[in-house]
Amino acid sequence: MNKERVVTPEKMFPEVPEKIFLFRSCTGSMEYPGTENAIKEVMKSLGIEIVMDPDQTCCSGYLLTCSAYKPEFSLAVTARNLSIVERHGLDTYMFCNGCMGYNLELAHIMHEHPEYKQMANDVIAKQGYHYEGKTEIHHVQELWYRLKDEIAARVVHPLNGLRVAVHYGCHYLAIQYNILDDAGYPTFHEEIIEALGGTPVYYKERQMCCGYSVGRGFTHKETLVQPHLYKKFKSAKEAGVELMTTCCPGCNTALDREQPNLTKRYEEEFAIPVIDIGQLIGLAMGVPLEKLGFDANTIRMDGVLKKLGIGKGDNHDN
Amino acid sequence: MAMVDYYRPLRLNQVDSSLQEEIKQACGVDVELCLECGKCTGGCSNAHIFDLTPRKIVQLVKLGDEKRLLNMDSLWTCVSCQLCVDRCPSHIDIPRVMDYMREKARKKNVKAQRQSIEIFHDLMLDSIRKTGRVAEAPLALKHNLRTRQYLKDADLGRRMFFKGKLNPFAPKVKNVKQVQDLFAKTIDKKEG
Amino acid sequence: MTTKLDKKALVVGAGLAGMEAAIKIGQAGYEVYLVEKENNMGGVTGQLFSSFPRWENPRELVDNRIQNINQIEKIKVLTGTTVKTARREGDTFVVDLQKADGQVEQIVADAVVLATGFELMDASVYGEYGYGIYPNVVNSLEFEDQLREWSAAGSKADRPKSIAFFKCVGSRDRSKGNPYCSKICCMYTAKQAGLTRDLLPEAKAYVFYMDYRAAGKEYEEFVRSVIETKHIRYVRGRPSKVLPENGRLVVRAEDTLMGVPIEVEVDMVVLAAAIVPREGTKALAEMFGALTDQYGFIENVPFELRQTGDRVFFAGACGFAVETAGAQAQGAAAAADVVALFNRVPQGVK
Repeated sequence: MNKERVVTPEKMFPEVPEKIFLFRSCTGSMEYPGTENAIKEVMKSLGIEIVMDPDQTCCSGYLLTCSAYKPEFSLAVTARNLSIVERHGLDTYMFCNGCMGYNLELAHIMHEHPEYKQMANDVIAKQGYHYEGKTEIHHVQELWYRLKDEIAARVVHPLNGLRVAVHYGCHYLAIQYNILDDAGYPTFHEEIIEALGGTPVYYKERQMCCGYSVGRGFTHKETLVQPHLYKKFKSAKEAGVELMTTCCPGCNTALDREQPNLTKRYEEEFAIPVIDIGQLIGLAMGVPLEKLGFDANTIRMDGVLKKLGIGKGDNHDN
Repeated sequence: MAMVDYYRPLRLNQVDSSLQEEIKQACGVDVELCLECGKCTGGCSNAHIFDLTPRKIVQLVKLGDEKRLLNMDSLWTCVSCQLCVDRCPSHIDIPRVMDYMREKARKKNVKAQRQSIEIFHDLMLDSIRKTGRVAEAPLALKHNLRTRQYLKDADLGRRMFFKGKLNPFAPKVKNVKQVQDLFAKTIDKKEG
Repeated sequence: MTTKLDKKALVVGAGLAGMEAAIKIGQAGYEVYLVEKENNMGGVTGQLFSSFPRWENPRELVDNRIQNINQIEKIKVLTGTTVKTARREGDTFVVDLQKADGQVEQIVADAVVLATGFELMDASVYGEYGYGIYPNVVNSLEFEDQLREWSAAGSKADRPKSIAFFKCVGSRDRSKGNPYCSKICCMYTAKQAGLTRDLLPEAKAYVFYMDYRAAGKEYEEFVRSVIETKHIRYVRGRPSKVLPENGRLVVRAEDTLMGVPIEVEVDMVVLAAAIVPREGTKALAEMFGALTDQYGFIENVPFELRQTGDRVFFAGACGFAVETAGAQAQGAAAAADVVALFNRVPQGVK
């Protein structure tokens, strides 16, 4: 454990919040609306109220690394978004690694350099916003890890030893301060999967990047992303994986949508369904299928659902 | 500016530390802390296709070779996975340096080796400027049109559309005017 | 002027430095309490299988020193014993020793030599190397035991086919470890890699380094002979990942001399972890009024290299990483300080 950066879940959440602000993610809402929905259902089941705000814009994460790196813009956008959360008096929870990483980094910069915070506030003051820096930024998975036991107690469809692999995504683990778990060898997702009754698989390329970040999925699909993902999926396939979970809708897009292309290009079958960890928790906790939105997945979940005894389109708990 | 060419090796006495100072001022990154250990490149997600790997990039900053840094292909193929700075024993923020060099490349109008990237970035910014969010369907469409790959992703798009996952119209956020205001005050502002 | 032979010294730690100090003070005729936490004397040197730069057996050296100690009546050896409390009374220390049989013995000493030695940093901080996660990732002291096992074993079954040695794990690292250099790892890694090739001739060995530091008599020749005659691949680059694959381990690093990323499949990884002061050193230093630095190593007072406080001296790796010859020399130097203290002659004004 890298002692300085890593915090224990008890320290991160001395008290479990009753009400949280859920930060909308561009990719999450558009590509996999099921993820957002599943998270809302899981939180409801755990007794945590969710607040959202239509005034909140894109996190500006893409911009930070797409040659539009201008401190003024990104800082102003972050300050504006976080000031909206502060108006509700809550802490910010993201379900996308990208949103979380960028917001955390920019909030940290503003915290360390008050002149940047002042500059951002000057820009957004004209629209009537003010960012104080009080709201804390978290990923929903951190809350889930903290509430691992409560989740385990609410499982109605145990995963029966289903072989699940995890893709953590880079922007969560590589943040340089205040994260849960060790970036060198993370295990908290695997522990959640065990709590749900699954078998976590530690495949060789588990910590590998998905390659889609900052638009490479558009601009470098054949040259960079596909060979990259091929290596990752080959390693997962060899380890015998039935399902893959992730905690970033961006990564989810890459991993899910590229598999048919990989199958065609490399003439090898790649058909591992990829869903968000929130959806998996929802599934295990008995959230009805139509609320989990698996229709958005390119690689069908039918095989997995059948194995778990949850029929496709079936509204009842089996 | 010193450059490696085939007829004469790099003249170190002609190299000054202006780039190193600039990076230190602008990014807060002191490349002198580099131990040249190579842990960054060893873990880099895309090192096998980079023309210049992370450790070499840091070395080039020391050698003041700005031209090479602005023109390298790695600038645009880096996915910002942050592994290099996470593993570095001296905590050198290479992704920050990359961001900075990208901004500089755009400002100086250096043509990226792969044209599609600039088009993509313009479109991305445009989407946010107009609607406050990133709408991927129109973005993908415009990108493929502008790069003349008309049929690229057509199959995917068709499938997504019929699954009801493709919204051809980009939804706007509530206060789009504010977003445009932010753009006007920052990115679009003429450099004074 | 008669010397006051009734003075007593307390030496804490019976590693090489502590034993040497005890021997020299005892030979000068003074009584010495040689206190050792473990049940045997010899410290880390006694655990080693081989030494550099002459490939000697460190056990012979340790046994020789122990034999010396046994012949000096004035040295009272107390193994399985720790220092419980200590306080000053005038020019002496009143020390309570917790002995192996559970009894507490109180002694009075006129000078103290701290020689508590070192241990290796816990390498599990580097999650990317998998120490504590994969069974075949060990640190260098554990590997030394492994070498002894291979040398003693009859059958050649179950031997790894390929071993990687990582240097600078936790040393020269400002972000997760210690910024200093642990001085001896370059030498002992070369030794261990060389021995591996001798004991397991079919196995391949790789050493991942940033530099190799061989500043000492016959040191450079030693490392060169290992590299040039034992067929070991030295790769310049700190490894970034150790990944499991099909029961083996894959190491990912960059060959910085060529500037290309490389990968190698091995069965075992040996980490040369950073050298840190042994646990309990800081508490001990406080008890006796000794100085320590920000890493917990014992620090000397200005101009007196072996002295760390009033009537308190130190020797060996508790002061900083040092090779066996250096530890022995420091022990003797500390003894000289103690004897000089005991024999202090009032200096007249010229």
